[in-house]
Parts: sequence; C-alpha cells; structure tokens
Amino acid sequence: MNTFFFVVLTIITVLMLVYFYRVVRGPSVFDRVLGLNGISTKAIVLLVLIGTMFERVDMFIDISTGYALLNLVGALAIAKFLEERGASPK
Amino acid sequence: MRIFAAFALFILWLILSASYNLLHMATGAVVASMIVWLSPAGAPHVRRFSWLAALMYVPWLISRILKSGFHVSRLILDPALPIAPGFVQHKTKLSSDGELVVLGNSITLTPGTITVEVAPGELLVHGLDAASCEELKSGVFDDRVGRLFSVKEDKK
Amino acid sequence: MTWLAIFLIVLGLFFLVVGSIGMLRLPDVFSRAHALSLTDSLGAVLVLAGLAVYEGFTMNFLRIFVVLLLVYLLNPVISHATIRAAYRSGLRPTEEEKK
Repeated sequence: MNTFFFVVLTIITVLMLVYFYRVVRGPSVFDRVLGLNGISTKAIVLLVLIGTMFERVDMFIDISTGYALLNLVGALAIAKFLEERGASPK
Repeated sequence: MRIFAAFALFILWLILSASYNLLHMATGAVVASMIVWLSPAGAPHVRRFSWLAALMYVPWLISRILKSGFHVSRLILDPALPIAPGFVQHKTKLSSDGELVVLGNSITLTPGTITVEVAPGELLVHGLDAASCEELKSGVFDDRVGRLFSVKEDKK
Repeated sequence: MTWLAIFLIVLGLFFLVVGSIGMLRLPDVFSRAHALSLTDSLGAVLVLAGLAVYEGFTMNFLRIFVVLLLVYLLNPVISHATIRAAYRSGLRPTEEEKK
C-alpha cells in the first residue's frame, strides 16, 4: 500500500510542475493566479497523502486545514486587488 | 437558534482538535460561546431552510458533477478539442442572497459552467460548450435550489 | 475497503491528470478555469475521499471529511472571484478558436 501511495505522490508532484509551467508562462496574470490555485489544491491533497504514508494523519490534517483557509484568503485578496487595478499595471 | 449555532461550533471544535481532556474541551466551549455571543444575531437572509431538501440536493449535485465531469474530460482528451466557449445570460426567479449563493456555487462546482457575474434574478455564466449549458437552461438547478429554501418569502 | 479506497484514488488521479492536460491545451483564461474546476471538484475531492475511506471510520475520517468539505465549499468561491476579476478588467474569451 505504501508503494501505491508513493506512486500517487510522484504523479501529483509531476502534475504540480504542469501548473507551475502555467504560472511561469501564462499569458495573462489571471492564468498565473489560476495556476497557483491548482498548485495549492494539490498541496492540500499532498499533505494528507504524506500524513497517511507516515501514519500521522492527525498531525498533517491540521496543517492542510490551515493551508486551505490561508489559500482562500490569499486568493480572494489577489482577485480583489486585480479587480480594482485591472490586468496590466498603469 | 443561537444555542444550536454554539453547539455546532463546539462539535466542529471537537472534530478538529481530537483531544478530549478537560482543558481542551472547556476551551472549545468557551470559544464557541464567545463566537456566537460576539457575532450578530441570526442569519439575515435565510428565513426557511429545508434540511430534507438539502439531503436530497447533495447526492443529486454529486451525480450531476460526475456526469458533466466525464463530459468535460471527453472534450479535453479529444484530439480535435471540440469546444465552443461562450457566455450565457441566465435568467432566474431566485433573488434572495442565500439562494443566489447556493445556485452560483453549484453552477461553478459543476465542471463546464462557471458563474461570472451575479445580480438578483440574473447570472452571467461561462460555458465550455453548448451541451454543458443545456442543463442550466432547462432550469433544473433553479427548481432544486428553490426547493431548498421552500417558498420564497419577501423580506421587505 | 482498501479496494474502494484504491478505486476512488485512481479515479481522482484520472481527473487530476485530465485537468492538467486541459490547463495546457485550452486556449484562454475562461476555459482554463473549467479545467481547474475539474481538478478541484472531482480530482482532489475524490483522492481525499479515497484517503478518508482508507483511514477507516475513526476520528481521522471525520477530520479528512472536514478538509474535503472546505475544499468543496471554498474552491468555487476562489475560481468565481478570479474569473470575475478577469471579466471586469476587460479580458474576453477568444471567439475565433476551433469550433
């Protein structure tokens, strides 16, 4: 079972690289924000997965809950800021 | 009602903190009652909420999400990429805040449709292709969400 | 129980992969948000559900369930906020893509 989890972990990490490509290359700033959201969603899953592998889910759950909430606040703040400012700096 | 809210918060605390000695539970009880005491009374725009309809709504929504999820995956994996993105103006008879929140969240949660702008009685939805918007246009979402909050009451 | 968990995780992984491919292939921000909602509302949630089932019906099941609920409730809010910001700052979808 641990091997299976390790494979899943590797695949998700590779997928995060795809989103990272979108963050670096993304034509508009909103593409970058979307890429960051994808990365943080995967990070939440990744944390729970690592916890399951090490059999310390109780500890990692707290971290991933905090990560989810911080992700919400950060993403909303960025979206609000970009909405006020527009896509390109004036 | 407020006692119920405090109790729900306390349950959430118990689930999240998962340690059951006297100190932790007492802290949880104090924090939960403090939050309820400090926050303004009552939920302003939700007058009636049918728990039975909510129980029916969740499995329906999940089946919808799975169905359109497979549809969108087929679109993306198709080598020709047969998408036709476009905006749809969606008129709805729902207008209170609670209904609009649930409706907009459900639309965004379903792959293939995303809520862009929300106004009472009107939503701007971006759809990935015509088939994704088909269901929205038929008005099933509005009926289901309307049933959640039973009858519309005028709050003025 | 383990097999159900493996099934859920593999299904979720499928959606995660498809969402990433969509992120690469789709032409503009608005369409890419659809790929993101695919990974969020199906991929991540199914993997989390699989992990919760693997954990068995203990306290940790409930706690993973709370994280799952958070992801479910908050991700639509995030993608709606981002897309609304994109729309309001004047971005429009490219119409002359392949139909």
